[in-house]
Amino acid sequence: MSLTSRHASRFRPVEVTAEGADVQARVRHLLAGLRPGEAHLLDALHRVQEEMGYVPPQAIPLLATHFQTTPAAIYGVISFYSEIRTEPPPKVEVQWCSGPACLLKGGRNIRAALEAVLGCAMNSSTPDGAIGLRLVQCDGTCHLAPLVRVGGRYIGPLTVAEVVRLARRLKEGGQLS
Amino acid sequence: MTALDAYRPLRQAAEERWRVLAEPSIPVFRVAVATCSKAAGAGETLAAIREELARRGQEALVLEVGCPGLCFADPVVDVHLPGYPRVLYGPVRSQDVPRLLEAILGPQKALPELALGMIPEEGIPPAAYQGTSMGNLPLLQETDWMRLQVRRLMANVGIIEPANAEHYIARGGYEALARALDMTPEEVIKEVLDAGLWGRGGAAFPTGRKWDFLRQARVTPKYLICNADEGDPGSFVNRNLLEGDPHLIIEGMAIAAWATGATRGYIYIRDEYPLAVQRMQEAIEDARRKGLLGQGILGSPLELELEVVRGAGSYVCGEETGLIASIEGMRGMPKIRPPYPAQAGVFGMPTNVNNVESYANVPLILRHGASWYASVGTERNKGTKMFSLSGNIRRAGVLEVPLGTPLRDVILVAGGGVPDGRRLKAVQPGGPLSGVVPASRIMARDGLPLEPEPFREMGMLMGSGGLVVMDESTCVVDLAIYFEWFAEDESCGRCTTCFAGTRRLLEILRRIAQGGGRPQDVELMQLLASTMRYSNCAHGQAAPTVIMSLLGLFREELDAHLLGRRCPARVCKGLVRYEIVEQAPELAEAAQVCPTGAVVREDGRYRIEQALCIKCNACREVAPAAVQVVDAF
Repeated sequence: MSLTSRHASRFRPVEVTAEGADVQARVRHLLAGLRPGEAHLLDALHRVQEEMGYVPPQAIPLLATHFQTTPAAIYGVISFYSEIRTEPPPKVEVQWCSGPACLLKGGRNIRAALEAVLGCAMNSSTPDGAIGLRLVQCDGTCHLAPLVRVGGRYIGPLTVAEVVRLARRLKEGGQLS
Repeated sequence: MTALDAYRPLRQAAEERWRVLAEPSIPVFRVAVATCSKAAGAGETLAAIREELARRGQEALVLEVGCPGLCFADPVVDVHLPGYPRVLYGPVRSQDVPRLLEAILGPQKALPELALGMIPEEGIPPAAYQGTSMGNLPLLQETDWMRLQVRRLMANVGIIEPANAEHYIARGGYEALARALDMTPEEVIKEVLDAGLWGRGGAAFPTGRKWDFLRQARVTPKYLICNADEGDPGSFVNRNLLEGDPHLIIEGMAIAAWATGATRGYIYIRDEYPLAVQRMQEAIEDARRKGLLGQGILGSPLELELEVVRGAGSYVCGEETGLIASIEGMRGMPKIRPPYPAQAGVFGMPTNVNNVESYANVPLILRHGASWYASVGTERNKGTKMFSLSGNIRRAGVLEVPLGTPLRDVILVAGGGVPDGRRLKAVQPGGPLSGVVPASRIMARDGLPLEPEPFREMGMLMGSGGLVVMDESTCVVDLAIYFEWFAEDESCGRCTTCFAGTRRLLEILRRIAQGGGRPQDVELMQLLASTMRYSNCAHGQAAPTVIMSLLGLFREELDAHLLGRRCPARVCKGLVRYEIVEQAPELAEAAQVCPTGAVVREDGRYRIEQALCIKCNACREVAPAAVQVVDAF
């Protein structure tokens, strides 16, 4: 897959390794049925992310060609939306709710404890990619505030001591409960 | 043939099949499966009910329905036994299921300890259930949570299978569309105007007038957009409808399409609501199958195609021009108006953008008429409004009350007030950009009626439905930091006044919270705030306004931080210190739980190593008598 000549000079080419070629084949398959000039770009990004866990750099030139725009424009969109990831997600992700109900019930303390125990800052992962911490927005599950989500499970209302124990279990590769 | 003629057979068939549920011959279980209840374990409860029914060999109908709003009692289960009124139970955890079924399938017919209330039905006299446990249950409508409520928008939520068009039709759904199709577009708009419906997204602009702008546009195709990007943290009223009764929104959009000449529509749902996306997509497909979307709807010339667009995590996409940019596949940056969407909206075509709840109100008006619609509410504001209650409150959830209902009553009666013997401090209506109302205003004689005008008088907005309740343990500087962090994080980056202004404000506030406040900070923030008002959209304009009004209302508390380097609520981490005040035995556990090893033992005595302490409060939770938070300076 090559870029159109007009855009090639503006975009740092992504090295097409064997793995990269595989990514491109998968992305091409996912884009079937999506058209430019319609409300389909976000859908495309969601499809790629659902399949691969994130939007890999190899997907960007393909998306650009498919949607008849520049790689820069695609990258611009990707970087604008907080739910689109450009890095592979960690194996275990602790999602910390940043909403107001959680805040009022001690959410900041929970965040501080999580960062201290897991040894990584918000929106980052441990160097081995085993565990990560991610800030998420309120989705209206405020009756469980303050809460965290792990693997799609909601855990709350939580005390800081409970979070410390939970984070230690996860760090040791253990189960949720 | 009129559209109503085309509708009647649909309705008859739907009612026929609905009878199995309305007058059941076997028990009917309705399990609320929504984001809120699933978080509390509704999935497990549902599985447990199915399993227990199978184990008992009991025939029953089990429905997955939307959340009836009682999030505080999630997971909730509605049980309808043949010949008895419905009873709502909650919280019903999976382990409660065996005893719940044991009780209700036995002679007692009810399990009072888990019952929230009974929903009486016409045709079932109280005598029918006297002598069972059901006889002593309160009526759900008379409970504190429900008694202020008038459920019109939420009339189907928790009763029907959300995506099932037939269920919706059996309950009177799509009749309004049929009626509208037998009227002219002008008559439909007049009806919406007469009802006094204004936009529920926060700006409160008359919906009928907005529609008229689009109707007058000459360019085609015209577009409709449903703004379901409910980004205000603490607001979840739209989610309740999207997950609980999506056809109500589809019907509202179809009526809008007829009134305006639009032929395509987008429902833009935020990424945080995957279940809403799924239910809406299913509902659209079902409506299409029934001929309620597509071409020649109900035998009329109306043509409408709807599509769900899933957002990707951006608050400013809730602003209509940002939302349009996002649908077009661009960065969701708000544009400069004019042109307004009615002139040049999505893909440059004339577009009407309404909030979920605005569209949802329309079928009620067309079905029952403007005068019925206006029978609740106040002189100036008609109809009902949904609110979500959260924060420092006993009962969190979603409610629907007539406009003008006092906020005080919503908090004290429905919400049950502030827990743990604390006092109410303030309420944040809408989102981080709407403002904060102090308790003194809420407790004033009128109780602060929930309608736009009293909020506008205070320089605030009533907002889209979020009500976040704060008690006296809240620190206003901490809260201001939260609001400003949110505004900074979500700024699209177009205007320097906004992206740099929010950042500067946040820096100043954080410095104050660290004990580095300076007397001239207030003046500096005021200067920033007045500059930021030159931002293009409401995001940059409102962000500083909220902070300034907040700090103005609680000036004493701000001054304590600024001049006294003291946080009265002992929240700001830079202004407090954790100290051990008593050598209690619980300290061993505190030392064990401390995430940084700051609780150290020396010569048989515990102390807190201040250099290690991150002030997370874990030690104080396990040893409340031994650890105290004191002023750092």
